Amino acid sequence: MIEFKNVNKWYGKLHVLNNINLKIPKGEVLVICGPSGSGKSTLIRCINRLEKIQDGQIIVNNTPVHDKATNLTKLRAEIGFVFQQFHLYPHMTVLRNVMLAPVNVKKMSKTEAEKISLAKLEQVGLTEKSGSYPAQLSGGQQQRVAIARGLVMSPEIMLFDEPTSALDPEMIGEVLDVMVNLVSEGMTMCVVTHEMGFAKKVADRVLFMDDGKIVETGTPSDFFDNPQTDRAAEFISKILTH
Amino acid sequence: MMSFYFGRLVEIYPFFLKGLWMTSKIAFISLVSCTLIGFILGIFRSSNSLILKRVVGVYVAFVRGTPFVVQIFIIFFILPEWGIQLDAFAAALLAMAIMGSAFICEIVAGGINSISRGQWEAATSSGLTLIQQLRLVIIPQAMKVILPPLVGQYVLLIKDTSVVSVIGVMELTRVGWVTVVRIPEGLMVFSLVGILYFSISYPLILLSNYLERKMSM
Repeated sequence: MIEFKNVNKWYGKLHVLNNINLKIPKGEVLVICGPSGSGKSTLIRCINRLEKIQDGQIIVNNTPVHDKATNLTKLRAEIGFVFQQFHLYPHMTVLRNVMLAPVNVKKMSKTEAEKISLAKLEQVGLTEKSGSYPAQLSGGQQQRVAIARGLVMSPEIMLFDEPTSALDPEMIGEVLDVMVNLVSEGMTMCVVTHEMGFAKKVADRVLFMDDGKIVETGTPSDFFDNPQTDRAAEFISKILTH
Repeated sequence: MMSFYFGRLVEIYPFFLKGLWMTSKIAFISLVSCTLIGFILGIFRSSNSLILKRVVGVYVAFVRGTPFVVQIFIIFFILPEWGIQLDAFAAALLAMAIMGSAFICEIVAGGINSISRGQWEAATSSGLTLIQQLRLVIIPQAMKVILPPLVGQYVLLIKDTSVVSVIGVMELTRVGWVTVVRIPEGLMVFSLVGILYFSISYPLILLSNYLERKMSM
């Protein structure tokens, strides 16, 4: 479903993605972790071409993402993206935030878009907030709206870039619960997170990055209990004692 | 003496109204065109394309770095040398459009640049096209920043229409010039001219102040 082939990316001299090879099959839940600056966010941001790559290929659903001829609008509509800072549109109500893409990208009628948007808001438990503005919501609620905004396009892939890192501790649970429910629907997910609980519970695979390289991959229990490399072991002990 | 001239002034008052009408016409047409062109240039100026940015940057720098009177003269006297004939009215509109759009461009670009990259990224990720991102997500938010200085700029542009009198467009200031030849009461004549300008710009000044207060909330 998602494939990285010898992907390289530089920011100036900094080699942020160093020869990445990775296959993510349909339905897999992949957790990506690593120290800050290791390239994990960049990695998933390349999947929907929020970032360009200089070398190699990324293929999503048989479409070469970084090909000039690729219809990006269509590709992006099939990939949901959830940001650390939510990035809801502050000038729109919650419902309009969710409806925006169905109406303007899928050219759905307003009534139809409203119907599915309300269904997605129900799925994240926020039907009663549909008329509120983002600023009136808590961080956890905003992030759940952001997830609904991604889901409303019926994507096959959801990408999460540290979805709980900007949240107060008491709100992390509600967001993770929504994500766990997605797993049970068979969604293909790439999640950049340090939430070990989440990783252990639902991840099929954990990928550890450092210095732009994939250092280690494994099942959550292998990775957390029996890391193969010193760097991974050091990282795990740090997030445990944190 | 004064009352005698005042009587004359009342007599030629329709002449002033004509001038006011011409000023309003120039102001209205140029505000609309300046806004349209200014928004397009502002979007270019804040875009990721280095070439567009530079080209618009040079345009803005040139317009801001030369006096408006000189710009009008260039358009009115030099274009005909190249075979482009413009009457005074058209030359005035063109000069206003060029000058005003450069200033509005900077205001619009400033507004767009004030919107965080995350908003662009969220809109991009949803599959919206660039135009949709601007129309639905970026510009509506940027308007909060753009609107107060934009209306302020409108006031300046309306007052700048007086400069086109130098190429003989019979607008309000020109009417003042012509009148003062016949009625040598400069203070009275130009007070009237001033009051008429003020009557157009003051409502906009109030609007600008109101927007400033409203948008800062």
